[in-house]
Amino acid sequence: MSTPVVQVSDLRKRYGDVQALDGVSFEVSAGEIFGLVGPNGAGKTTTLRTLATLLNKNGGTVEVAGHDVETEPDAVRGSMRYLPEDAGAYDSMSGRAFLEFIADFYAQGDEAAAMVDRGVEIADLDERIADKTSEYSKGMTRKILLGSALMTDPDLAILDEPTSGLDVQNARSVREVIKSFPDAESSILLSSHNMLEVEYLCDRVGLLNDGVIVSTGTPDELMAEHGVANLEDVFMEVVA
Amino acid sequence: MRPFTRLIWKEARELLRPQYILPILMLPLIFIAMGQGFGGIEDQLNQRPTVGVVDGDDGQYGDTVVETLRERADVAYHTNGTGSDGAVRAALNETTAAGGNAVLVIPENFTERIQSDRRGLVHLYTNVESVSIVGIASSAQVEGLLSEASHNVTVAATGASEVQLDPIERDHTTFVKGERIDAPPATISTAFTSQFIFVPIIIMLAIVFSGQMVMNSMASEKESKTLETLLSMPIPRRQIVASKLVGGSVIGLLAAALYTGGIAFSQLSIGTAGSSAISLSGTDYLLVGVSLFFALVGTLAVALALGIFADSQQGAQMLLLPLSGLAIVPMFATMFTDVDALGPLASGLLLAIPFTHPIIAPKRLLFDDVGLVVAGIGYVFLFAVAAVVLVIKLFESDRPITGDAGWLDRVVQLVQR
Repeated sequence: MSTPVVQVSDLRKRYGDVQALDGVSFEVSAGEIFGLVGPNGAGKTTTLRTLATLLNKNGGTVEVAGHDVETEPDAVRGSMRYLPEDAGAYDSMSGRAFLEFIADFYAQGDEAAAMVDRGVEIADLDERIADKTSEYSKGMTRKILLGSALMTDPDLAILDEPTSGLDVQNARSVREVIKSFPDAESSILLSSHNMLEVEYLCDRVGLLNDGVIVSTGTPDELMAEHGVANLEDVFMEVVA
Repeated sequence: MRPFTRLIWKEARELLRPQYILPILMLPLIFIAMGQGFGGIEDQLNQRPTVGVVDGDDGQYGDTVVETLRERADVAYHTNGTGSDGAVRAALNETTAAGGNAVLVIPENFTERIQSDRRGLVHLYTNVESVSIVGIASSAQVEGLLSEASHNVTVAATGASEVQLDPIERDHTTFVKGERIDAPPATISTAFTSQFIFVPIIIMLAIVFSGQMVMNSMASEKESKTLETLLSMPIPRRQIVASKLVGGSVIGLLAAALYTGGIAFSQLSIGTAGSSAISLSGTDYLLVGVSLFFALVGTLAVALALGIFADSQQGAQMLLLPLSGLAIVPMFATMFTDVDALGPLASGLLLAIPFTHPIIAPKRLLFDDVGLVVAGIGYVFLFAVAAVVLVIKLFESDRPITGDAGWLDRVVQLVQR
């Protein structure tokens, strides 16, 4: 069995009086796409933001690529990339300049240039890569951000609702990029409300409800466990 | 490019976008336009006026008036005759066509009246086409001509010398807060006003504009979630804060330089009589600059901290209001009064506002209160350090993401509403 890229154990997070995460535990292995699924307010984004070192936890342990998010946040940031839901790019930059800006934090010289070339290839925006990102459609923005996230070849790419709000064509294009990304050392952790997408993309799925992972397994295992024909029905059963 | 350099470059590019930079560029242009306007008026007043004369007097004093006019003005129209309506109208038309706007009518008994110890009458007809500072100011030139003609008639009528006409020579020494200046109070007041009335305005504008830019930039990063992307990358939070402060400070100082340049240009156009009576040295300007720099850094750190809690750019505008108020209060206080002249409570409250110190520094340096200015710099430095530490702490917390201000949330929401 491969070494987990993500190890989350008994993760707890409180916002004032609200217990957002109440003992979340799961692992993501190298080379797999792990989907975090749950209703609005279940704690998906809070979990992803904690892994991305954006939020401090109130309890439990979280490790990314062997680094603790609390004691080694810089090492965690160096080994993962986070793509927030509905994120934008800097308006004053072109698509290429945005990729160059991101690449400078991970490499220098020829290595950074190669990284940018990879980002341009993933974004697949042709000559529009030279345009200002303020002129991009939502789909193009999502592609440039995906390119910027994956070009650094992170151990873990955290994608929050990667196809949210995209048309069918752009959503399919983004899904193909995600599907082809993981290799022996790289993994993806994503959240989505689109159960067909999760079923298509994810090797394993964690069902999150009221701040707790209530069920984990491959899509087939979850469907068999709940005796239903698709992941959407699994979701409905869990939420009910 | 190194990551930190790249971050500063990014901040500068973001802040140099038209929506941020245009208001900064507009103000110096307004100052320059005002200066050009006043300069144009002064240029016009310095030119020889063009006048017309209808001379009905054949005596010596009428001739003295006409000679004075010929010496000091371009006489575009001159006729001997009575000042009938038709003659005046013709004279006014001819003079206006030649670029003038005034006709002097000297009646036939002008010399006779003066010789019989009565005042001679000169009727002045003025054609005002433009109801503006320029149009009305030009008539003052003709009044000046008449004063000079009156002086010359006095000399001719009495045979008095210039010394007899103005026998007292004044020599002024004025003590301002114990500082001896060999100039009349009016000259000092004019010089002080022309040189220093704009300094508090420049400093206030630099503080408010740079604070506004950084807060808007921060709110924009939150809205577009580029802040989440940035904070999840392998760069220390203090470097992110530092890049925002450096970028904002550079733009703020650039704005201050532009305002100073704009105002200096307008001052050059206006001219500052007696300005040599009071002025700051290079070291004084350096001390003001240091004070302003620390005030700017502190302001930007506070603006960044407030920007964390803004849920949108509109919300950021509202949160800027208290900060702007704190910059405006010392500006007005120093323009219309003196901090030291206020009571202990009022001056204490004013001095507790960090922005007060760079604003009052030029005035204090004029009177060699260097110690107080240095103490003010120390205070502003401590304010800047405290504000930077606060914003770094905030960046290391959940607050840039959640915007949670704890008990302050209710206050912030109240302000934003």
